[in-house]
Amino acid sequence: MRRAPNLPLLRASLLRSPLLATLLLSALLYGLPFALGPYWQQLGFRALQLLTLAIAWNVLAGYCGQVSLGTGAFVGLGAYAFALGGNRLGLAVPLQLATAGIVAAGFAALASVALFRLRGLYFTVGTLALAEALRILMVNLGAFGGASGIVLHAATPAFHQLYWLSLTLAAFAALLAELLLRSPLALAMRAVRDDEDVALQMGVRSFRVKLGALLLSAMLMGLAGGLQALKLGVIEPYGAFGMGWTIDTVAVAIIGGLGTRMGPLLGTLVYVALGEMLRNLPELHAAVAGVFLLLTIRFAPRGLWSLIARKRAHG
Amino acid sequence: MPLPDLNALLQALLTGVLIGSLFALAALGLSLVVGVIRIVNLMHGELVVLGAYAAYALVQLTGLNPLLLAPVAALLVALLGWPIERYILQPVVRHGTEAPLLTTFALSIILQNLLVYCAGGDTRALESGLGARRVGSGALGAPVIYLIGALLALCVCAAVHLLITRTDFGRRIRASAEQPDAAAIVGVAVRSYYARTFMLAAGVAGLGGALLGMVFSFTPSSGVEFLLTGFAVVVLGGVGSVKGTLLGGVALGVVESLGATLFGDGYRLFIGLLAFLVFLTLRPQGLFGRSA
Repeated sequence: MRRAPNLPLLRASLLRSPLLATLLLSALLYGLPFALGPYWQQLGFRALQLLTLAIAWNVLAGYCGQVSLGTGAFVGLGAYAFALGGNRLGLAVPLQLATAGIVAAGFAALASVALFRLRGLYFTVGTLALAEALRILMVNLGAFGGASGIVLHAATPAFHQLYWLSLTLAAFAALLAELLLRSPLALAMRAVRDDEDVALQMGVRSFRVKLGALLLSAMLMGLAGGLQALKLGVIEPYGAFGMGWTIDTVAVAIIGGLGTRMGPLLGTLVYVALGEMLRNLPELHAAVAGVFLLLTIRFAPRGLWSLIARKRAHG
Repeated sequence: MPLPDLNALLQALLTGVLIGSLFALAALGLSLVVGVIRIVNLMHGELVVLGAYAAYALVQLTGLNPLLLAPVAALLVALLGWPIERYILQPVVRHGTEAPLLTTFALSIILQNLLVYCAGGDTRALESGLGARRVGSGALGAPVIYLIGALLALCVCAAVHLLITRTDFGRRIRASAEQPDAAAIVGVAVRSYYARTFMLAAGVAGLGGALLGMVFSFTPSSGVEFLLTGFAVVVLGGVGSVKGTLLGGVALGVVESLGATLFGDGYRLFIGLLAFLVFLTLRPQGLFGRSA
């Protein structure tokens, strides 16, 4: 006698299957703009942009141990590449985005020759100097609009379209990070993070490993910068290459939890909620975010996610 | 690009040496913190800017000349330095290198944005009362304030040098830097000397800020420029040596002034940063190379 299929069990296992859960979640997230107005769509755009940046930074700093303060450089390059690709070459949005990612990653590849000669804290200071130097250069370069920047010829899409693009980018970032973390490279990255000299002794080609993490990180940041240019319609060097990008990225990634998968997501939620609470006091928002960052480093060095993870582990 | 004549180059050299002395003063505190406490202090730029704003506020309050008020501004910044080192930095120092680094980054965000909140984001400058008065001939000369600033910077650098090398206080600081455990065994309160070093560093940074504020204009976000200028000086001159810092400052000042003469004033800081990055790449052992 054939047994009837165990329906409740089947349902439970389907619900637990990561693929189905992902599909359901995607459908929900992509459908949100139909239910929510422009305010939430914009907030969603911003949150998903921060999430992308934090994922990108987390790969480089959290898993590979290279703390960068150069987010602004890659976001800015992405924004300018996007704008110039559209204005001068007449590219369509997908190709503009590809240009943004490639230019940011290409610059990272060039800079890596100098940057990876620097270890640890020197690397950090080097990335900060690089971002500042780029910003000043762009302020002075008349060919790229100088201090007043560039106005995009193409029209700005509607908020819900921007939200979808930002969601797709964040999903792409999460997917890439996940694939990277499941690849053999992840082990090498952790080895470099924990002790680069020992990793070298064990035959890990640390330069290549770090370069891989930097390229992925820079490309994602460049893409995020491209979307920012698309959203604003106007870009100028002070904003595009600004320290604000670096501050947001570091704050989100650290508050959520460095080197954890869920950290960037949790950090984004906390950071965006904080921003909304202090919306009318933008300077205080940054200061309060700084205090949050300070407290997290002191009392939860592995971020807020580690507190939740610990609680779950202990039942 | 038209090549400037010899006189313009000499002028750039002179300006570079004078401004470079001020750079050295502003960087001295960073060199001390990196060399003694071994923290890369990303809030150093904010301490410099805070000195400038403290002087600005004191001028508004008293109406006196900022040259007279600069030491008071320095004292205020020094007083702020103590609790920061003692209660915020010291507890995270043992959590590896990233925690103190990111803590100073967080502090720089906090200070910078509190400054925007309290003082507004406008560009400000300190009026020394000397206006555009210059010394020297029309072709080769410098504003009086540059000269006064450079002289004061030299005096303060010399005083710090003597303090570190010739006094008991300085010997304890050097001991805490080089052999913290051994220093503790022979009775040096190492932690307390770290806090005092940070106070000294903050005070010198504040003084540098007050003097730089009379030469350049500043905003709450000028901190990152001062920080990177400071790093460039420290890397060029070597850590922990006052003489080295002075030489590094002058070298950077000259490079930036020559760059500004050749490419235009907008490129001043860019040239400095480029020189810094190139130097750092060629000589990556830079910072912790040697101390005292």
